[in-house]
Amino acid sequence: MDSQGHRTDRHFLGGKLLLLLALALVCWIFFPAQSQALSTESVTAKPNDASTTKVIGGEETRITWNGIVGDKEEVSSITLVFPQGTMFSDSSYVQVQEGIRDDPEHVRPSTPKSTMTLATEQLRLDFAVPIHSKSQLRIQIYGVSLPAKSDDYYVVGSYVDGKGVTHALAEQEKPIKAIVPTLTDNLVAYFDGLDWVKSWNSVKFLNIFLNPGWAVASVSTLFPGWLVSLLLVLLGFPLAIPIGLGISFLRMSKFSIIRGLSGVYVNVIRGTPLFLQIYLAFLGLPLLGVNITPYLLSIIVLALNSSAYLAEIFRAGIQSINKGQFEAASSLGMNGFQTMFSVIIPQTIRRVIPTMTSEFILLYKDTSLLSAVGVMEQMMFAKNLAASTGILTPYVVAGCFYLVITLPMTRVITVFEKRLAASEGRSVPPEEKKKKKRVGLFNTVDPGAMSAAKPDGSMSAAATASSAPGVDVASPDALTPPDALTLTPSQGMPPDKNNKKRGRREKT
Amino acid sequence: MTISKKLMTVLLALTLAAGLALSACQGSGDSDSSAAGAASAGDQTATGAVGNGDLGLVTPGKLTIGSDCDYPPFISMQAGKPTGFEEEMMQYVAADLGLELNYLPPQNFDTLIPSVNGGGKMDLAVSSLTINDERKESVNFAMPYFDSNQACVTLKGSGYTTADQLDGKVVGAQAGTTGADWVKENLPNATLKIFNQTSEGMAALVAKQVEALFIDEPVAKAMVADTFTDCRVTEVIITGEKYGIAVSKNNPALESAVNDSLKKLVDDGTYAKLFKKYFNYEPSITPESIKN
Repeated sequence: MDSQGHRTDRHFLGGKLLLLLALALVCWIFFPAQSQALSTESVTAKPNDASTTKVIGGEETRITWNGIVGDKEEVSSITLVFPQGTMFSDSSYVQVQEGIRDDPEHVRPSTPKSTMTLATEQLRLDFAVPIHSKSQLRIQIYGVSLPAKSDDYYVVGSYVDGKGVTHALAEQEKPIKAIVPTLTDNLVAYFDGLDWVKSWNSVKFLNIFLNPGWAVASVSTLFPGWLVSLLLVLLGFPLAIPIGLGISFLRMSKFSIIRGLSGVYVNVIRGTPLFLQIYLAFLGLPLLGVNITPYLLSIIVLALNSSAYLAEIFRAGIQSINKGQFEAASSLGMNGFQTMFSVIIPQTIRRVIPTMTSEFILLYKDTSLLSAVGVMEQMMFAKNLAASTGILTPYVVAGCFYLVITLPMTRVITVFEKRLAASEGRSVPPEEKKKKKRVGLFNTVDPGAMSAAKPDGSMSAAATASSAPGVDVASPDALTPPDALTLTPSQGMPPDKNNKKRGRREKT
Repeated sequence: MTISKKLMTVLLALTLAAGLALSACQGSGDSDSSAAGAASAGDQTATGAVGNGDLGLVTPGKLTIGSDCDYPPFISMQAGKPTGFEEEMMQYVAADLGLELNYLPPQNFDTLIPSVNGGGKMDLAVSSLTINDERKESVNFAMPYFDSNQACVTLKGSGYTTADQLDGKVVGAQAGTTGADWVKENLPNATLKIFNQTSEGMAALVAKQVEALFIDEPVAKAMVADTFTDCRVTEVIITGEKYGIAVSKNNPALESAVNDSLKKLVDDGTYAKLFKKYFNYEPSITPESIKN
């Protein structure tokens, strides 16, 4: 009883309603034990905001009322009372459906004949044939606008049972949570109302791919997904660098087993689609009892995938360093570790930066594949938005979001590259300066070529390896590979297949 | 050196052999489909072909269908060919129109409506498409051919008893489906993950990437019974959806031709026969129900 009194307070919506509720109260008092002939299951409103996830007031939506007729009961009429301030548009219409349960396993749909009366904030339906016992009754009202303020809304009302007795209708458990239109919603409404937008949208291609209203809606909706994509690659890529470097060392190991194993790793990862690796990680691992949260798993998969490509980039970079550098380092008494980290790696980094940038850009774009397994990155948001309408503008906007990162990235790296080359020029003897500058020039041209060569990974490695030594110091040694190979056995595997063959032939 | 050369030769031979075997398989598959074509051509003379010069087909003489082909028992790929209730239904329609049935390779579900709307790719989209107002803005629908509901599928032993309990949880649905729309409207606090194919969503459910999947009831029941036996239908959500065949708004001739064929399908009892083959309850679409 207490809760019913509370409800009365909340819905002090005017005389009509008060009367209904008083009537309901009377019913409850007089028939306390009687089960409801018609119980409210749910009342929902179709999301109608720009992101298609929220209900906004003051905009047309569709309200769905769901109820179930009690056992051995019937319903001949129903009146739904909507929150004060609810508006029906001129094109409002109502769909009534009855799910008849004459088979416990199956519901037979039917459309009951009814006369409809739509009044202020009220809908009354009188059924020609009463709604059957145990039936599911669904009433969908199209073209309704809830009040234009943020609130929780309930739908109440009354119904007449088979005996002609009027009962109050219980309000639904979960309210409709409506919000006021956001800036984006208003912008979308503004664009959709413009004349030029209307004629623009009358062209099918423009309507589907470059719809202005949807573009505005997409920008704000995709933004969180864009941050997720960016975060995934910003965490995954730095993680891939040490792994890749480690693997590149293993690839140049003295021991053929380690060389072989790391080679298998690199070739399997580079030789299979990332898509498959994602499927294995996301759908396979849980079946083996390994449960990692999707975001962490995304980062791990991206890092492992990228590490294989980076390993080849680093290996090619290291092997492109003139052997004179190794010899000079050892003549200074440096051990292998010192040589690597204070002489070779710093020079390598400079050489591989353009290729690494391409790798970063590719990895960033590859985050889109994660949407296939339900990671909430930007393609997922785009899919979510595009799927319900068939308008593909969200994908185009997603593409622009990728460009926001990738275009400046290539530019910044070009500048960075030049500066590095210049600073290197200062630290080396004057006669080498000129040649070093050429490295910078060549390398700035590289990214395009590299990204083009990426699908076949071996090409990118070969490209770095073959172009870099030639460019580098252009010493006679660097231009004669067999010589270089025999002189640097500790570096292990030569950069490309031709060299490998040549190396073997020399050994036999 | 010689060993590796031998190995290479063997490998090469194996690859070639495999390639030949594959192409041989393909050949037999082709002859199969041509046989089916001949059969439908035979039907055509029997039922009396309709002049089809004015149907505005993508490929003249062929009824080109787009479907995601991943929705048993309505349609799924069996031995490389679309099979199921809808495929048999469309065989009938194509034969009735004197056309050859031509299924495109599986399409992503969410591209079907844009493809029909855009034109030039498929004549019809037949893929358990629920008729609703949003879709009607882009395409027209022929008469409803199936009554469906939504289902909430969860893992056995997950403890869920109603769909409402999943509000606030991570749930899945297929891109562009009414299941996805239902989640957005009814479970506003749930995180919705969208999958391209139903089977991907089911795999994600088994891998616990989502707590529940919302798909059409008949499909949910078929998937749970056949492939994903560690899942169960937690709740059937009565939504009273009707499937329709999507056809371009610019092609009313094809729409009415398909409608006439579908009426014939129901009236001559073929629909009931087909229904009985795939479902174990009485069809709601009967010659009486489509009279008006």
